[in-house]
Amino acid sequence: MFAYTVRRVLATIPVMAIVALFVFSLLYLAPGDPAAVIAGDQATPQDVERIRASLGLDRPYLVRFGEWAFRIIQGDLGVSIFTNLPVTTMIAQRIEPTLSLMVITLCLAVCIAIPMGVIAAWKQGTIIDRAVMGFAVLGFSVPVFVVGYVLAYVFALELDWLPVQGYTPFARGFWPWLENLILPAIALGGVYIALIARITRATMLEVLQQDYIRTARAKGVGQKGVLFLHALKNAAVPIVTVIGIGIALLIGGAVVTESVFAIPGLGRLTVDAILRRDYPVIQGVVLLFSFVYVLVNLVIDLAYTLFDPRIRY
Amino acid sequence: MQRRDLMKSAAIGAAAAALPRFAIAQPAGNRVVKFVPQANLTSLDPIWTTANITRNHGYMVFDTLYGMTADFQATPQMAEGHVIEDDGKSVTITLRPNLRFHDGEPVRAADCAASVKRWMKRSPIGQKLETFTDAVEAVDDRRLRFRLKRAFPMLIQALAQVSNSPPFIMPERLANTDAFTQIREAIGSGPFRFKADEFNSGSRVVYEKNANYVPVASGTPSLTAGPKTPHFDRVEWEIIVDAATAAAALQTGEIDWYEQPNPEIQTMLRRNRQLVIEEIDPLPLTGILRFNHLHPPFNDKKLRQALLPAISQADFMSAVVGPDPSVYGVDVGLFTPGTPLANDAGLAPLRGPRSLDRAKALMREAGYTNQPMRLIAPTDILAPSAMSQVGADLVQRLGFNTDAVFADWGTVVQRRTSREPVERGGWSMLFTSFSSFDFVDPAAHFPLRGNGTQAWPGWPTIPRLEELRDAWFLAPDLAAQQVIAREMQTIAMDELPYIPVGAYKSLTAIRRDLTGRVKGMALFWNLRRA
Repeated sequence: MFAYTVRRVLATIPVMAIVALFVFSLLYLAPGDPAAVIAGDQATPQDVERIRASLGLDRPYLVRFGEWAFRIIQGDLGVSIFTNLPVTTMIAQRIEPTLSLMVITLCLAVCIAIPMGVIAAWKQGTIIDRAVMGFAVLGFSVPVFVVGYVLAYVFALELDWLPVQGYTPFARGFWPWLENLILPAIALGGVYIALIARITRATMLEVLQQDYIRTARAKGVGQKGVLFLHALKNAAVPIVTVIGIGIALLIGGAVVTESVFAIPGLGRLTVDAILRRDYPVIQGVVLLFSFVYVLVNLVIDLAYTLFDPRIRY
Repeated sequence: MQRRDLMKSAAIGAAAAALPRFAIAQPAGNRVVKFVPQANLTSLDPIWTTANITRNHGYMVFDTLYGMTADFQATPQMAEGHVIEDDGKSVTITLRPNLRFHDGEPVRAADCAASVKRWMKRSPIGQKLETFTDAVEAVDDRRLRFRLKRAFPMLIQALAQVSNSPPFIMPERLANTDAFTQIREAIGSGPFRFKADEFNSGSRVVYEKNANYVPVASGTPSLTAGPKTPHFDRVEWEIIVDAATAAAALQTGEIDWYEQPNPEIQTMLRRNRQLVIEEIDPLPLTGILRFNHLHPPFNDKKLRQALLPAISQADFMSAVVGPDPSVYGVDVGLFTPGTPLANDAGLAPLRGPRSLDRAKALMREAGYTNQPMRLIAPTDILAPSAMSQVGADLVQRLGFNTDAVFADWGTVVQRRTSREPVERGGWSMLFTSFSSFDFVDPAAHFPLRGNGTQAWPGWPTIPRLEELRDAWFLAPDLAAQQVIAREMQTIAMDELPYIPVGAYKSLTAIRRDLTGRVKGMALFWNLRRA
């Protein structure tokens, strides 16, 4: 297991290198010129050239890539073209809100979706099952930003229960931190809940047909025991896989959610950087996201061993 | 209903009733004002970039030697006064005593000289001033002297410039930074201090009151002139990109001022009695249709002129601000309506009934033979996007072989610098808008330049416009300037470096209990909570 983990961690290096090359090349080829944005309307072509030179954007592709890659190896993601701040500082400023949003959403989704899926499978064909599946369809169908606006309208504007926007760092207290995240987490969690609930239901239905479930029942195990101890544990592998895949959804959804609820997270940072053509920031954030994906996949693979003793690395 | 259910309902109801206490509306009378600006503050250097948001940041942190009143009079701000000698070739400005930067250092004439020199490298009027200047030097700590090759009547006016870029005074060590390289600190002597430790670009910008700031003793607050008194201990700029979210936050009291709500949002906010929707600037912004003069089809003057009978300024402006004619203007020429140089010379082709047929006939006369043309337009900036959609529809109805390319602003800014013909990725036409300050006079009026490849994208070559611009800088008085402005407009409406497509007012939404706002832009001195 340890050797496997080390091998997987080492395997992230070529993956990250390919991602780095791809991102750098894509940005190099993409239209847009930060120097022109900075120079403003009155700038002469010479002014734009001077800014481009001062930013090092006039040098050949290979030189720029080489310098950037060398810095990355040293852990230096560069400096933002616009804010003049180190990219690592900007990421550090933004990581807590995004991480908080994702953790709350994940907890919310798992706590709601798995029981929903289990109950739907248990009550297959009943009104409860249909209601759960109806919710799942709704969760998939309604865009995150629509849910966000509706929640903000009802719970912030009309009822005045929760703030419309913003983020309060955890250091300033648990409730101020949480109250800013409740609506965004519900909005973002909708799709996720729907996804996990459907997978849980489908997997549970399959497991509940197995002989060992019949045996458990014959031995006199109660319904809760059958569902949560015997069936759910055996259905866990696909559910955990979906939770992992869903983290990708969360990162994508966080961009929209952070915009709607004005949360200063990595999603907003990415969009702003793309719109401004702030290349070092885009490159840094995409590398970070790629690393997170790789890491999540590793954690999921390792988690399989907890649920299925037959899996060994 | 069973008793247990009843108890559950009661508990839920009680919890619901308790929840409103968690709402985070601003307590009345506090010393913090929260503001949603028009854009994110990305750069802290108002000389390095001309973004309006950075200019507004500049006015928070920095001060200027002279301020500008709403009727465009330059009045002393950091300066105590000035003396003009040697037939205007020597101008000596004396600083007010006891001016200090936010780091505690005194403001010296050497700081001002370095700041002015850096500004002259980037500002259009500054660049002009530089050509007249032999030296800008500190006579002593309080006296700054311009030694000029010849008199430059616009000197004091230039030092009071409000836009693109104002000559902000910063410490010499910062001002010595190359004008094309960004400064790393925001230390000025203005009414508010920048809180670098709380700056999170894309999220929040915080300023605190400069308790040591001494406003000018006399005068009335007007635009950037007169006493600047900071009343709030903290000014927090909250960057909220989503209009609906910003509007909701304003309604719940989470923020106090939303700089640029779009027209649909304004309609909703007008229903809230705690809010006031008003002009942020009494003067309007001007929308323009810019031609590329380098390549067909619009390198042909007759084809540019052919569009005039079809241009309805009301159509363009309605698309930007809605149908209410009180917030837009038509019959708009080259200079900002309501300012001294605005005039009606050459505007006849934009008046009277609009006619597509007449425009089509002129296109035929001009010999248009279905050459391809490309309109480039942003999707993420409200006014240019709206005008471009009207424009794209118009040129298609006129029968132009049109390729309308809508992209994000970053892409448009780059594509418009391309001087290639259409078939090699170039462009033919674009729409954009300029602030009232940009079109007040010819100094910073980029689209009015006729200096060919050195001009703003579109690159018209109209030597007479350049001659008149040079003459304007040396005009002895307003009457002479107005004569020049009329001639410039006459020539421009014939040559058509661009077509003005109307003017519109930018409205802002602010809590009713905030009073004393200085109009013109997002300024925070003298603002207080009633």
